[in-house]
Amino acid sequence: MTTSMNRVLSSGAAVEPEVSRKARPRIRPGALTIHATMILLAFIAIFPVYWMVVSSLKAENEIFSTGLWPSAPSLDNYGFVLSQIPMLRMLANTTVVAGVTAALHVLTGLFAAYALVRWRFRFSGFVYGLIALSWLVPFQVTMIPNYVLASRLGLLDTLAGLIVPHAAAAFAVLMLYHAMKSFPTEIIEAARMDGAKHWRILWEIITPNLRASLASLGILAFISAWNEYFWPLLLSRSIENSVVQIGLQMFMTQEGNLWGPLMAASTLASLPILAIYLLLQRQVIESFMKSGLR
Amino acid sequence: MSETRAVKLPTGGIRALPALPRLNLAPWLYLAPALITIVVWTYLPLIEAFQLSFYQWNMLPTSPKRFVGLANYAHLLTLPEMHAALANTAIYILGLFPMSVIIPLAVAIFTQDLKGPMRNVYRTLIFVPMIIAPVVAAIVWRWLLNEDHGLVNVALDTLGLHRIGFLQDPNFALATLIWITGWKLIGFSTLLFSAANASINPSYVEAARMDGASRCQIIRDIRLPLLSPTILLLSMMTVLFGAQWSFTYINVLTGGGPLKSTTNIFYLLWDYGFGSLSVGWSSAAGMIAFAGFTMIAFFCLRLMKRCSVYDN
Repeated sequence: MTTSMNRVLSSGAAVEPEVSRKARPRIRPGALTIHATMILLAFIAIFPVYWMVVSSLKAENEIFSTGLWPSAPSLDNYGFVLSQIPMLRMLANTTVVAGVTAALHVLTGLFAAYALVRWRFRFSGFVYGLIALSWLVPFQVTMIPNYVLASRLGLLDTLAGLIVPHAAAAFAVLMLYHAMKSFPTEIIEAARMDGAKHWRILWEIITPNLRASLASLGILAFISAWNEYFWPLLLSRSIENSVVQIGLQMFMTQEGNLWGPLMAASTLASLPILAIYLLLQRQVIESFMKSGLR
Repeated sequence: MSETRAVKLPTGGIRALPALPRLNLAPWLYLAPALITIVVWTYLPLIEAFQLSFYQWNMLPTSPKRFVGLANYAHLLTLPEMHAALANTAIYILGLFPMSVIIPLAVAIFTQDLKGPMRNVYRTLIFVPMIIAPVVAAIVWRWLLNEDHGLVNVALDTLGLHRIGFLQDPNFALATLIWITGWKLIGFSTLLFSAANASINPSYVEAARMDGASRCQIIRDIRLPLLSPTILLLSMMTVLFGAQWSFTYINVLTGGGPLKSTTNIFYLLWDYGFGSLSVGWSSAAGMIAFAGFTMIAFFCLRLMKRCSVYDN
């Protein structure tokens, strides 16, 4: 999967140049301007993140200096954050919420996609449309009924409340639907003739072959759930039961001008995602590109 | 699980599944988890919000809902706040276009010949904002743009320019929030365009070049038409979700201010709902927004079907 993407990317670039060179001198951006453009774009993208990390390492007396590297890097800001707010607890909460949400996305998506691909049943088109169009409903429009329902179910201020409404997502179903559609039906038919039941076909034949899609969906769902802000904002009451995004927002409201600790808290909240990105950057980029923006 | 009973029906032989005469429970069992979640947490609330838009209620379970008919809608349509929020929503969306579509498209085409190891380094770096949490992005930019000590204002000062209250000045706050929203997207859009651009069949470009087409003509007559599905997709995403993406930044950074200059329709929904607890107003405004964006979405989808030039 990753390689196919790269093949696509490199083939376009590779084939182009030769033939035309003889034609005539053409206006074509030189390598230097191309690199300059990309460096500028990369700088804009990465500098705020770099500045966050650098500021978090600066001592209190140095925080307002414009030095690009702290003269005496220290972890004091991190110590301060850990002593002021239950950061580790919130990181653990967020890991649980994001992990379970991602797993549920994958599972519910897998089941629903299997149903839609394997059977032509009455209303199947309608169901597909219902699921596919659910992204059209802005969350801000349904937030009040959602909130009322969550409070009626006793989900306020619980981690379960953050997970349950996000147990399924349209993009997960659609992504796996398309992945499964391209799965060769002959193999499934052969398995069926051997007497395999649907449950076994799904787990022993389809799932292993969809590993790449499932992994990329899982990564995407984990990162989205980790970064989710709006629903936790509605549900969270106590800082102990909230996720790290809410903790950050609360910390900012209380200590808005303690820039060093604020940057340390932001860095801590981003580290897990940045670590995933460092390890799996190709898969991460690809899974975002495959799913569109959500 | 209980689907075994339902699954037994079709295992007899090569018999095609669609031919099954009776209601087959199996697909519904497989669909249930996703379908129930989406119906219970998206569609039923949508219907409920529609109902609530005709009532006056303050969200307290003990207080009664009072039916007011169309009064909420009538009230909203005359409210200057609502007009300002709708206008701001349009500004957010239009302001995002350069960063989500135009610049990425230009950069993708401009840098298409880029090769070598640096290519991957750039890819890796420009994608980073996309995975950074919106709250983190908000806080980091709040620091960079801080009026007294932020790096950007220090730089302006050094250059002999005036310091700017990026988030305090009503003339700048909206643009600042658009910039932060766009900062998250620009690299992602660029990569999407690059991938689409690179997948254009090189023989088209070659053929045009043989016919003596200039680089500009190739871009205009070959690349842009073949990139139109991606252009339309990203434009549609920007129009439909641009104002939603900025919600977090408004909530964390400005609270809709200064002087309501950064309030868009989605923030207004939130403000009515959980700020002043006027459920009816929030629901009615939500219905107006939903209807508007749904119409735009169907228009976009039709446009995409009709205008896209597919590369077959």
